[in-house]
Amino acid sequence: MSTSILSLVKKHPILKDPRLFQITALSSFLAYGIFNLDWITDLPRIFTILSAGLIAQLFFMAGLKLPFGSWKSGAITSLGLCLLFQSSTPLMWILAPVLGISSKYFIRTKGKHLFNPANLGVILPIVLFGDAWISPGQWGSSAMLLFFFSSAALMVLFRVGRIDTSLTFLLTILVLEYFRSVVYLGWEFDWLFHKMSNGSLLLFAFFMITDPRTTPNASGARILWAVGIGVLSFVLTSWFYLHTAPMWALFFAAPAMVILDKIFKANVFQWTSIKPLQS
Amino acid sequence: MKSLKLFILACAALLSGIQVNAFCGFYVARADAKLFNNKSEVILVRNGDKTTVTMSNDFQGDVKDFAMVVPVPTVLKENDIKVVDKSIFEKLNEYSAPRLVEYYDSPPCPVEIVTEDYEVSVMLDQNWPTSANLTMSVADEFNYRVNVEARYEVGEYEILILSAEESDGLRRWLTDHDYKIPENADEVLDPYIKSNMKFFVVKVNLHKLSGSAFEELSPIQLTYNSDRFMLPIRLGMANAKGPQDMIVYTFTNQGRVECTNYRTVELPSNRNIPLFVEPQFGDFYKALYEKSWKQEGRNSVFLEYAWDVSPQQSVKCDPCVGPPPIANDLVKAGVDWLKNGWQGTAYFTRMHVRYERDKFPQDLQFQTTTNKERYQCRYILTHPASGDMSCEEGQKYLKELEQRRKRELDELAALTGWGVKNGNSYIKEFNNRLEDYEFSPVMTQEEDRGGIWTLLLSFLGISTLIMVIARAGKKRKLQSLPA
Repeated sequence: MSTSILSLVKKHPILKDPRLFQITALSSFLAYGIFNLDWITDLPRIFTILSAGLIAQLFFMAGLKLPFGSWKSGAITSLGLCLLFQSSTPLMWILAPVLGISSKYFIRTKGKHLFNPANLGVILPIVLFGDAWISPGQWGSSAMLLFFFSSAALMVLFRVGRIDTSLTFLLTILVLEYFRSVVYLGWEFDWLFHKMSNGSLLLFAFFMITDPRTTPNASGARILWAVGIGVLSFVLTSWFYLHTAPMWALFFAAPAMVILDKIFKANVFQWTSIKPLQS
Repeated sequence: MKSLKLFILACAALLSGIQVNAFCGFYVARADAKLFNNKSEVILVRNGDKTTVTMSNDFQGDVKDFAMVVPVPTVLKENDIKVVDKSIFEKLNEYSAPRLVEYYDSPPCPVEIVTEDYEVSVMLDQNWPTSANLTMSVADEFNYRVNVEARYEVGEYEILILSAEESDGLRRWLTDHDYKIPENADEVLDPYIKSNMKFFVVKVNLHKLSGSAFEELSPIQLTYNSDRFMLPIRLGMANAKGPQDMIVYTFTNQGRVECTNYRTVELPSNRNIPLFVEPQFGDFYKALYEKSWKQEGRNSVFLEYAWDVSPQQSVKCDPCVGPPPIANDLVKAGVDWLKNGWQGTAYFTRMHVRYERDKFPQDLQFQTTTNKERYQCRYILTHPASGDMSCEEGQKYLKELEQRRKRELDELAALTGWGVKNGNSYIKEFNNRLEDYEFSPVMTQEEDRGGIWTLLLSFLGISTLIMVIARAGKKRKLQSLPA
């Protein structure tokens, strides 16, 4: 019995395709939002973002004759936007995923996307139309923290890939905040814990900057890149009081990926090159 | 069938006895006078980097014992400090307080209808405290490494703006100048000093007060430019026993304000509740707030009202329970961007936060959003129709009414945790005998919303779904292959 369950788990498609794992995790957060954070009233926004994102993805799939499996990438971008992007204008709910997904095909460099599509989908409406925002405080609670960390462990287990980026980024923030806020300023440890357990920060760390198509190819380059984003976020938060700093830091760090890829040579990531876990 | 007449009963539930205490700074006293940090209310006006903070002064005691320390981000100039009339707080509170709305069912059987519209607004008095004086002693600031950056007299207050190099010196300076500092205040002072915050220290100038020692003190209004859009609540926790309540009224030219480091949660609103709640609406709202506060882990900021109150807007509330703020009120609160005195956007947000040290390790940080969605805490009473019920419609109505009343009782229990001892008679009886009903709080334990279970179950559910779809796809593929 137990062996059959184990073999069933081993054969589970989300272990074969990390994108399915991501879709499962992000959908769970969305369910958490709807049932526990009262996003019921947000259902029109969520529905519009998801449909617009998937339609945009299908459009590009048809136009560019992309493999069918690429719907997953569009779904991940749209789910990410549902979790992070806020606007009271329905037009923005359509524009954010459309802009984000279009950027994957229009702004490219050496077979990779220059900008993280979900990140760009959030930033562009804010910059261009000023009619959108990010709510960094919308998560909260330590149950989330627990879950995020278990997701992280799962990610390592199931080789989604860029766990080095997540951990480096979080560690950078943790160390810098520890020295500034706890050692220098004199806030207590729970101040730091509150900061590090922010749901939006963890969501960003585990599900946005880990996108293999917008992170540097070489492992060393990724570490440097994640440290850079961490430092920039820290500076923007501590001195410019920008509470949504990581999103902006990732946006500004996009060109750095190109430079890092030039210095550190490594193979370009391909989703299809991931081998199933059990062989 | 419904809502023939509208009867509005505004109830300042918050003022009806919820324990409320200190705010951004802490109150300190001279000698050993007893301190009461009661209700605190703050108006925050934000435009770009410019912030205007108005702090209601609810010090209860002899005003000669009053003193207050508030961290501020810059050294304020004299004309950046004002005293304002306390009526602005009353007006904003009255306008945005949680509201009870009454509807009347129309008789189901044909009768002559007498309509009469009326509107009543009940506000509970705010007890504002009193009078007296302090004289400033100018001491050698040098030893303390405390710098008196500025010294002003504004209204009935004597104001000092201090900068300090270390918390111990500041604490000694304050103590030596007869301010009684809470014991554990130093460790909180330190982070503010190192963040380059200044300290706005206020005492009352007794010569400026005419009346008795228990005169009302005016709210103080400060204006400064800073990237920081926050309220320093940590200092106020230094001498607090138990949780404290604060109402934050904000105005921006864009939309709602929300907290960036705690969740901003909308309280349950637009719910139908039993008629007998009316005389106890204050207690009802207190219980509702308490339940939501516990349910959200005691660490959320609650939204109580959000509305566009721009002078040119025609609908400023629906229904209005107090007069909406007019252009002059907005200006008093610190809204300075209205052109020609009335053109421009002013978006109003009212938040209510109940905070205590172990759940609020960080100061409250805010951001302005472009969210202009309206929100109000509104609870609905529906009076049954009276008169002849013998017709078919009437009989149907009575059955529906029974069901409705059951739902109202369930709603009451869900919102407040209140059980009703003789609820059954409310369901069965349509007379509005308010005094007959007794409440008994039935829910005392903390309720967890079980977030982790939602997450785990969704994860399992979605992954199973994916597996099923994948297997079905595979089977289909196999079947479609030529034998």
